[in-house]
Amino acid sequence: MGKQGQDRKVANGLVALSSAAVLAVYSAGYTRTRAAADRFTAQTEARRPAVAEPQPVAVVAPPAPAADRAPAPVNRRPVPSSRKRTRQRSIAAITPPAPTPALSAAPTPSAPALAAPSAPSASSASASAQATADKPQYHDGTYFGWGTSRHGDIQAQVVIENGRIAAATIAQCLTRYSCSVIARLPPQVAERQSPEVDYVSGATQSTNAFYYAVVEALGQAKAK
Amino acid sequence: MPVRTEVLMGTFVTIDVVADDADAGAIDRAFAWFHTIETACTRFDEDSELMRLCAPPGRAVAVSDVLFEAIRFAVAVAEDTGGACDPTVGAAVAARGVDREHRTGRRVRAAVVDERASYRDVIVDEAARAVLLRRPLTLDLGAVAKGLAVDAAARELAPLVDFAIDAGGDLFLAGHNRHGEPWSVGIRHPRVDGELIETVRVSNRAVCTSGDYEKAHLVDPRTGASPSRAASATVLAPNAMLADALATAAFVLGPAEGIALLERHGVDGVIYGSDLSRVATTALARA
Repeated sequence: MGKQGQDRKVANGLVALSSAAVLAVYSAGYTRTRAAADRFTAQTEARRPAVAEPQPVAVVAPPAPAADRAPAPVNRRPVPSSRKRTRQRSIAAITPPAPTPALSAAPTPSAPALAAPSAPSASSASASAQATADKPQYHDGTYFGWGTSRHGDIQAQVVIENGRIAAATIAQCLTRYSCSVIARLPPQVAERQSPEVDYVSGATQSTNAFYYAVVEALGQAKAK
Repeated sequence: MPVRTEVLMGTFVTIDVVADDADAGAIDRAFAWFHTIETACTRFDEDSELMRLCAPPGRAVAVSDVLFEAIRFAVAVAEDTGGACDPTVGAAVAARGVDREHRTGRRVRAAVVDERASYRDVIVDEAARAVLLRRPLTLDLGAVAKGLAVDAAARELAPLVDFAIDAGGDLFLAGHNRHGEPWSVGIRHPRVDGELIETVRVSNRAVCTSGDYEKAHLVDPRTGASPSRAASATVLAPNAMLADALATAAFVLGPAEGIALLERHGVDGVIYGSDLSRVATTALARA
């Protein structure tokens, strides 16, 4: 597009411009980020023993049983008109006995399960940095959350172990379309652990209901 | 060998450091960058700096370094690609239903959007570090912001030498993997779930892929339609912000124009056509 000579000039500019932008942002934010990180260090010194476990953290390897019941079977179920009631019932049905007190407490029958998790929605920069600094912040256990899209709802199951996300899977798929479309997301990180390659490059599914469902489940893991 | 995953910027972000004794503080700081940049650049929060900028068009607004650099780069890419990658497509994306704040599930509506708006209506004032929007529009900095966050995190982790950052398939691979080899990166097959169409070996490079398997996101800003000539475009570049932008642009432009774009910028890449025909820059050409 356009004249070749001009393009060439601009072209070199993009590589240089991106590098300069990263440097500028990094330098400008260095102080602030460093401050947040230093606070974190101070805070964690106290509880070092718990954090310093040298054990490598397992990452999003979906557990077999959850994966089995994940996407396929429930797929084509039409979204019922009285969706909220169904949703309530199914949450109750799968809520594991022990570690999910937040879930039974959270939604009232009339309020959809999508209530915003309060902890992660802090919007100022310092608050967000602070939130990171406070990791690990999740309570061990299994948590469920719902996400909605124009095409229906998805329930995610998130397993927290040692304060970290150990697995995220689709527990129920009530979408008009097959959840195979997004089935690649839950094992996204596990995929990376395949013997074949270190990592996989591919466009993300950043907008799907599964993501919101995971966020909601993590909100419960954070609560208390 | 610390590997940590967090849910950030609408995706899973994994940081993987090879060294056993890596400084956990550096990893915390790396994750903090994602928060910092998302906070400034998200269009899913009406109170974000980005949305405050978009609210009243027609006057110059001084913006933070993060937002300024993100917008300046996004506009430069749009100019360079003739609008193939245009940050003012926010409205087109919202019209397709991608308007939910991913942290709370709350719907966000851009106020009033002028359909004729394009990147030409975003005036970047270098001296004042200010931005002026000439029409009502919503800037979508999603991809640029994610790339920028990966790059800032990579800078934070630079002293650790060997590490990988994976922000939902947008990658930065530094140094070597646990076997002392360059990182192996699989490129997702655009037509077959769970399969790779090829793998590349990289070191100190960002790798990003745009594909037609996420149609809702990729809109040709020039026509408002999803482009169909490429199935996926993968770019290897010095930083993720550039790799992401060029992958998106190359995908929109299609195989022939896309490869020309990458060669013009001196970055490597491979593009699969909708018939899965393969074109690549010289370094990735097959014998």
